[in-house]
Amino acid sequence: MGTAFSVKDLHFRYPSSSEDTIKGINFDVVEGEIFGLLGPSGAGKSTTQKILVKLLEDYRGGIKYFGKDLKAMGHSFYEEIGVGFEVPVHFTKLTALENMQFFAGFYKSTANIQELMERVGLWEYRNMKVGEYSKGMKVRLNFVRAMLNNPRVLFLDEVTNGLDPKNARIIKDMIAEYRDQGGTVFLTTHLMNDVEQLCDRVAFCVDGNLIEVSTPRDLKLKYGKREVKVEYRDNGAIASAVFPLDGIGFNEEFQNLLKTANIETIHSGETSMEEIFIIVTGVELNEQANQAD
Amino acid sequence: MNKLTRLIRGEVKRLVKYKILPVSLATAAVWIGLFLFISAKEAREIAPLLIFVDVAAMSILLLGASHHLEKQDGTIRTMMVMPVSLGQIITAKTAASMLLAIESAVVTAAALYLIHGATFNYALLLLFVAIAGAAHAAIGFVLSLNSKDFTTMLGLLMLYMFVCTVPSILFSFGIVDAKYEWLFMISPSHSASHLISSAVRGEYQLAMIIAGCLYLTILAAALFRFAVYPKFKDNAARG
Ligand SMILES: Nc1ncnc2c1ncn2[C@@H]1O[C@H](COP(=O)(O)OP(=O)(O)OP(=O)(O)O)[C@@H](O)[C@H]1O
Ligand SMILES: [Mg+2]
Repeated sequence: MGTAFSVKDLHFRYPSSSEDTIKGINFDVVEGEIFGLLGPSGAGKSTTQKILVKLLEDYRGGIKYFGKDLKAMGHSFYEEIGVGFEVPVHFTKLTALENMQFFAGFYKSTANIQELMERVGLWEYRNMKVGEYSKGMKVRLNFVRAMLNNPRVLFLDEVTNGLDPKNARIIKDMIAEYRDQGGTVFLTTHLMNDVEQLCDRVAFCVDGNLIEVSTPRDLKLKYGKREVKVEYRDNGAIASAVFPLDGIGFNEEFQNLLKTANIETIHSGETSMEEIFIIVTGVELNEQANQAD
Repeated sequence: MNKLTRLIRGEVKRLVKYKILPVSLATAAVWIGLFLFISAKEAREIAPLLIFVDVAAMSILLLGASHHLEKQDGTIRTMMVMPVSLGQIITAKTAASMLLAIESAVVTAAALYLIHGATFNYALLLLFVAIAGAAHAAIGFVLSLNSKDFTTMLGLLMLYMFVCTVPSILFSFGIVDAKYEWLFMISPSHSASHLISSAVRGEYQLAMIIAGCLYLTILAAALFRFAVYPKFKDNAARG
């Protein structure tokens, strides 16, 4: 397995800004993995994606794409990558199919447009103008657009944002399939569901810095509370008790409870990615949802 | 089909779908209607002005409209992640804008011939319209890239027209003594107007023609190289 992207000490400042938006980050995206970049709103996730796809060029630091300097890559780079943007990017006065055919025409290798659009449930709306599409339909079309050229590396910015659970599921399945066939994915999100279900590795981005690069499993082990919570009925009322996971087999109190009480639920204290997000970034998810609105 | 051809075809198709070409044809039709009510001599007098307004003002307006519509759609960004060069993208957009300028020249020339039987050196007119069209496309880009929305762009265009186009129109009404014309040539509008009038009226001052062609060509090249090219990508990325 090669390294799709190797990022060393990356700094970036918008010309209009007085300080760096990206403050010296390091990470690798390994070929064949789904790499998730998470973080609160305004952390610099989209900025990082725009740098990796060469939309923003005046960065400092080194970026290698399969061993080659990114700055030296010509526009043939775009034959190999697929980019899904966080905002709609289609001609609103053209139909969805006209849009897809226009973009597809520029690539040497193209995916089957009908197959992709059928899969995300847009084929029957192919002759509708994109301007008449709903928000979720535009998001799905963005995804089709990103997959048009059978990319070697797929960039997805908030790919399931604004989708209902069924459509989000479809897109996530397609992403996982793409990875299973050897594709590499760079995904930015602040939706913890996406992360748990998709990402092989994640990096937390906070205020232009990366503070954890790990796997969801390792994060859970590291931040998980090693304990067991038992809920039971006590004289009609619900009561609960918490026990440490270590040495649980010898914990008499725990065993007595199991033998005597009317148990309703038992949960190991697995910390959700959502809680880990809050611990690591120090930002409440709903707090940033409010900011985003 | 090569990529540039495909880009240009896309631009032209969108000129139709976004109603920009139809609008431009409709204005041309209004001009033609005007020809029906005036004499051949008057028509020949006024025709250069009409072509000039289309080349120097309408084409900027339409380019600005299409730029800001695309910006709203977010499509400039997707175009930037296609395997085409920035030069090809800008070339295609310029070609589309020049097409609009040429389209209006063709319609006006055809009307002049059909209604009044007037003919002139079409090849020369085409050349001049192409040169003036390219320079004004560059100006249109500069104004579009430096405005955050279409309304701001309209403001900038008004300012440009006030400074460059209005004096030229006043000149064409004979308000200023003709011996000062070379001063007005600094305005790209006036250079364009001079070239177009020469071709339609068939009166040539060689030095002025050469100066006008050179000036507009150099201006177009300089603007594209230093004001459009470097700013275009930046503008697209931030959208
Ligand atoms: N064009 C720009 N000019 C100046 N500053 C910008 C520009 N675009 C973004 N920024 C700033 O850079 C920071 C990072 O923005 P970015 O869009 O990368 O955040 P993000 O992590 O993707 O957030 P979100 O989750 O809301 O999409 C923000 O503080 C933002 O205000
Ligand atoms: Mg973002």
